[in-house]
Amino acid sequence: MAARALTKGLWGLRHSRLVTVGHPCGGHQYATAASIRSPQLQIDDATEKVINQPLEKPDFFRVSELFSVKDLFDARVHLGHKKGCRHRLMEPYLYGCRLDQDIIDLDQTVEHLQQALNFTAHVAYRGGVILFVSRQRQFGHLVESTAKNCGEYAHTRYWQGGLLTNAPIQYGPGVRLPDLIIFLSTLNNVFQPHVGIRDAAKMNIPTVGVVDSNCNPSLVTYPVPGNDDTPVAVEMYCRLFKMTINRAKDKRRQMELLHGLSAPSTPSS
Amino acid sequence: MAALWKVVSSVRTCGVRLPADRFSRTSSSFSSDSGSDQRPRTGGFAAAFDLQSELRRRREVENSVADGSVSSPGQEHSFASLLRRSPLIQMGPAKDRVVIGRIFHVVQDDLYVDFGGKFHCVCRRPADGEKLQRGSRVRLRLQDLELTARFLGANTDTTLLEAQAVLLGPLEGREARENQNQD
Repeated sequence: MAARALTKGLWGLRHSRLVTVGHPCGGHQYATAASIRSPQLQIDDATEKVINQPLEKPDFFRVSELFSVKDLFDARVHLGHKKGCRHRLMEPYLYGCRLDQDIIDLDQTVEHLQQALNFTAHVAYRGGVILFVSRQRQFGHLVESTAKNCGEYAHTRYWQGGLLTNAPIQYGPGVRLPDLIIFLSTLNNVFQPHVGIRDAAKMNIPTVGVVDSNCNPSLVTYPVPGNDDTPVAVEMYCRLFKMTINRAKDKRRQMELLHGLSAPSTPSS
Repeated sequence: MAALWKVVSSVRTCGVRLPADRFSRTSSSFSSDSGSDQRPRTGGFAAAFDLQSELRRRREVENSVADGSVSSPGQEHSFASLLRRSPLIQMGPAKDRVVIGRIFHVVQDDLYVDFGGKFHCVCRRPADGEKLQRGSRVRLRLQDLELTARFLGANTDTTLLEAQAVLLGPLEGREARENQNQD
């Protein structure tokens, strides 16, 4: 009996950790009394199913259907900078060099982009905060409107030093940091790596980044080798991310409705 | 009788018009051997059309079975073949090549022209270029696809994020109208 109460309490603790996965900076919640768990056990079953069901399939949100090699090719994603601008660590992602211009291997890009979109979809499904970052001035408005259209956040202005690392002091205690940062371009305006990449790595925030042939892909969690200078390409990335996030959020609403209706109603008195 | 119906129906689908009186004549003369030899044989074009459409259908079925996806003969799937057949690769070195671009931004006298490369180029408006506005098509002579140079003491090239081209003039007359119609 005591053992059962103990396992129930532990299970409740695990559930509370699952539910608070999106609060890395918030205080930890501890549930010790087993008695408060038992009436809510059936609701937790439904929540657990809603949260864990997407993890069973490799491409639950079918992000691979959103684009093809031909789409990427027509959006000029394979065009890189000149040979002299190449970053040494981007060499594995290059198909070759044609008349001094680097060509990015779209077969690898397709795989990386699928993984990045899949991860974005899972984060959006679990209600995570997503931040779009780009320091390219010509795409600032596009990135901001993309973020607005999918209900997420964007930061396309000057990045203050302590934005992530000093957030509780700069923005007040208990501020929630993003759960995913998407870089539409990983360089800042002086061709140096964006500070946000290093800061996100310091704060254990996963990053998705479009890396061109002159970028450093090291610290980016899900690098997507591709062109980040042509408007067609950036518009395509924005469209893909917006569609993925919207799809994931719609799926979440759908699953909650489905399981909310099918879960037996708990006696509330 | 069944053979006659099949031949007649295939001739009908080829679009060969069969007048009603000829049809009644053939059906009445079917009983004799001479009648069956004369008419039911399909004409040259109809037979060729049948043969080609059958071949194409069989090829498409084989393709779909082999690839797992229905592919029309003109469609490329692999990145290598797409790249090889792309205009950028087929063009070769960009120096002194004449291309067609489209103006996507104008700042007083500067025209920002996109010609399909990674970067756009910026050209000054010519003296007689009053009609060159956003969306107009122009001819360019490319000099460079990306302006880069390695300076002393630097590890990598410095890039201007622009291409360089000489503006030759607007796209004239019939070509411009055809292109606009295609768009």
